[in-house]
Amino acid sequence: MGDERSGSAVHLLCLAASSGVPLFCRSSRGGNPARPQLPFSVIGSLNGVHMFGQNLEAQLSSARTEDTIVVWKSFHDSITLIVLSPEEGTSELRLERLLQMVFGAMVLLVGLEELTNIRNVERLKKELRASYRLIDSFLGDSELIGDLTQCVDCVIPPEGSLLQEALSGFAEAAGTAFVSLVVSGRVVAATEGWWRLGTPEAVLLPWLVGSLPPQAARDYPVYLPHGSPTVPHRLLTLTLLPSLELCLLCGPRPALRQLDPQLLERWWQPLLGPLRTCLPLGPRALPDGFPLHTDILGLLLLHLELKRCLFTVEPFGDKEPSPEQRRRLLRNFYTLVTTTHFPPEPGLPEKAEDAVHQAQLPRACYLVLRHGEPRRGLRLMVLQLGPRQLLLLLAPQSPTHGLRSLATHTLHALTPLL
Amino acid sequence: MARPPAPGSVIVPDWHESAEGKEYLACILRKNRRRVFGLLERPVLPPSVVIDTASYKIFVSGKSGVGKTALVAKLAGLEVPVVHHETTGIQTTVVFWPAKLQASDRVVMFRFEFWDCGESALKKFDHMLPACKENADAFLFLFSFTDRASFEDLPGQLARVAGEAPSVVKMVIGSKFDQYMHTDVPERDLTAFRQAWELPLLRVKSVPGRRLADGRMLDGRAGLADIAHVLNGLAEHLWYQDQVAAGLLPSPQENAPG
Repeated sequence: MGDERSGSAVHLLCLAASSGVPLFCRSSRGGNPARPQLPFSVIGSLNGVHMFGQNLEAQLSSARTEDTIVVWKSFHDSITLIVLSPEEGTSELRLERLLQMVFGAMVLLVGLEELTNIRNVERLKKELRASYRLIDSFLGDSELIGDLTQCVDCVIPPEGSLLQEALSGFAEAAGTAFVSLVVSGRVVAATEGWWRLGTPEAVLLPWLVGSLPPQAARDYPVYLPHGSPTVPHRLLTLTLLPSLELCLLCGPRPALRQLDPQLLERWWQPLLGPLRTCLPLGPRALPDGFPLHTDILGLLLLHLELKRCLFTVEPFGDKEPSPEQRRRLLRNFYTLVTTTHFPPEPGLPEKAEDAVHQAQLPRACYLVLRHGEPRRGLRLMVLQLGPRQLLLLLAPQSPTHGLRSLATHTLHALTPLL
Repeated sequence: MARPPAPGSVIVPDWHESAEGKEYLACILRKNRRRVFGLLERPVLPPSVVIDTASYKIFVSGKSGVGKTALVAKLAGLEVPVVHHETTGIQTTVVFWPAKLQASDRVVMFRFEFWDCGESALKKFDHMLPACKENADAFLFLFSFTDRASFEDLPGQLARVAGEAPSVVKMVIGSKFDQYMHTDVPERDLTAFRQAWELPLLRVKSVPGRRLADGRMLDGRAGLADIAHVLNGLAEHLWYQDQVAAGLLPSPQENAPG
């Protein structure tokens, strides 16, 4: 795969499983869609080797070459997704979860029926164009981490209870149980009904809203991959302030025009101040003044039962290393701990032997980066306590013997929030 | 719809380029960039200035790919998407535009709410077209100069969308006018269309918006200059139609198309 043109981009292929007809081809480099970036012969071979395995009742899931990882995934015996990624800094886990997100995005915008019952390939290709923007956002460098953790990216607003009250009142007035407030793709507050949404729609909906260009209001048909994959619902969004949107999931009522200026003014105009304080929360995730140790350069807190997470690489707004680098380090660290040391799901021990086994499971681990400036000396620490997992990126000056207590302290401080 | 007013008879044209106009435009610009307003926000004018706001709902109709979303983005001063992504459902965009009335010399803040929906979503889901048409004050019919089929589809669209709403303002806009080398719609066809339908017809270029000195941000002021004629035209027809409906102006006989 030493093709100069592909460079170091991530390539995603979607094919109809039975016929092998390519449905679309996306890449993280975007750009000119008219220029094919992977030759058809390569696409054919990748699909062919997968189908060959299937015919022999073998499931081909991944492969590595010198410079590329390839992961295959089949959905409902109807759609095959293949992703190719340059080796550096990626893993099967990340790519498998990426494919799950991508298929979820396809169902979200096109519906499961169209994908499992492919009657007209040309028409399906046309319909799938609606999902390109969302799928491209998964291939690029996003500030969010829900695609990898399968937990909803959240932020903590300074006046959460006020917002929560307004949200419940508004939800009742609008006639739907599913309402949330989303800033830059992260959930600020939501009704109970919204929090009960399943995976992957709980992650996909805020992510979708965050990936769209600014509009005052929208009325989009969506199919919920877990909750309602064949019957569409309506996703209504209202931009209260730039990048802060109110999202509603509902059936045929209410009509978009019923969410008129008067209704918004009644419930949200009085909260203009608290709403404005939510705007900078996107990259920061935590309210201003929240006591965090100054050595912390990046933070990822996961609540594995609630499936929510807090992710920030700019707790104090300092510069070195850059936010992109910090994100990459924390993402790779998360992948490492999830595949190697920590089981993905917390579970109650069934029998005595399991209880003993649980006690032997690692509770914390850390590593120190050795190579490359400005990464040299950076510390990565993970601590698990019950359903919560905290990953920290710390500055080189942070003493290693103090890491565990720093992490424990931070986890205790964050526990009431998530 | 009554006979359209002569351009410039209701709204002072080029007022936005006068000193007074520029002062008012400052409320929708911030350092030469277009301000984006959330639904809880509106342009802020000096406390001594009190002007009325006239709100209108405008449905933008046209075949897939003619540039509906791009036109609305241009009118709102937002980035026009480089790659065409079919609109998944209904989208609304709010544009504020201060304009000066000829008759009373009064400045009015126009609030245009553009409704735009992807063609395949309109066909697939029944609730979308009625939601877009309901209580609309104006319909904008878009065709592209580079797509003959979109021009020929106009009569059909006019019937489908505006058939049951005779008093709603209807305007036709031709996009991608800058691509005159590839134009599929010659001038004589436009003239014939104008004579047959008696609808105001505007042309919009689809060139990328000018950027500020840093090369990244869109130049809001320059962008406004590019589309002022569309916003003024829209304001004019809507205000005129309101006057006629309120009985403040004598209404000439209806002109049936064709």
